[in-house]
Amino acid sequence: MISLVPMIDVMLILLVFFMVTSTYLNLDMIPAVQQQEDRAGAASGVGETLMIRLGSDGQPVVRGQALNDRDLAALLQQRLRADPLTQVLVLPSGGATTQALISVMDVAARVGAERLRVIRLEARP
Amino acid sequence: MSLRLKRREPPAQSETIIALIDVVFFLLVFFMLIGRMDATAPFDVSPPIAASGSDMPAGGATLSVSRLGDLALDGREITRDALGPALSQLLDADPALRLRVNAHKNAELRHVLPLVGDAEALGFRDVVLVVTPAEAP
Repeated sequence: MISLVPMIDVMLILLVFFMVTSTYLNLDMIPAVQQQEDRAGAASGVGETLMIRLGSDGQPVVRGQALNDRDLAALLQQRLRADPLTQVLVLPSGGATTQALISVMDVAARVGAERLRVIRLEARP
Repeated sequence: MSLRLKRREPPAQSETIIALIDVVFFLLVFFMLIGRMDATAPFDVSPPIAASGSDMPAGGATLSVSRLGDLALDGREITRDALGPALSQLLDADPALRLRVNAHKNAELRHVLPLVGDAEALGFRDVVLVVTPAEAP
C-alpha cells in the first residue's frame, strides 16, 4: 500500500510556501489615457469648460479660489446641473502628489463628471 | 531454538488523515486560484486611495514609480532613458498591451505624468493608474 504521509508532507510544504510568499493586494485602476472613440466623442460635444488648477500643495483652485473637496464637489455639481456636457480640465502642478490628483478625479467622478481630462504644460526649447 | 519475530502490520490510514488531506488540498487550491503572480517593485509603492476606481483585470505591464521618482518595469529597476526602448519592445510584442502605472501616492506628478504622456506617444492605448480602493464608510 502506498503511504500517504510523504504526499501530505509535500502538500503542507507547498501550502506554507504559498501562504508565506504571497502578498495579497486589493488594487483598482483609473484610466489615464482615453480610448480613441471616447476622445472623438468628447471632442464632438459642446459644453462649458471648467479648469481646475492643482497647486503644489495639493489644493484644487478654481478661478483663483482654493477649494476643499466638499466645495469642489458642490461647484462641480452646480456646473454639471447647468450644463451636463461641462468638460472638466485638471491642470496639475508638477509638485503636486499623485494622491492629490486622484482625489480631484475622485470628486469629479463622484458627482458624475464624464468629460474629464488631465492636461499638463510641456516646456519646449 | 529459533526466534521468529512477527512482523507488525502497518496501521491502516485512519479516516482523519483523509480529512486532513482534503482540507490541505482545499487550502492549496484556494491559494493557487486567488493568488495572481505579479512582480513587485524593488522599492516601496503605496498607491493612492480612490473611491471611483474599477476592478483591475490581470495582465499587462506594470510601471512602478517610487516616492522619489525611481522607476521599475515589471519588477526590475530601470532608468528613464532605458524605459522608452523597453516599452517599445513590449508594445511590439503585444500592441494591445495594458500599461499599469503604479505610482506611490506621494510621488510628485512631474515624475508620473510625463510617463503617461510618453507611453501614449509610443502608442499605448490602454494606460491606467493603479489605485487602492477606499474603504466603505
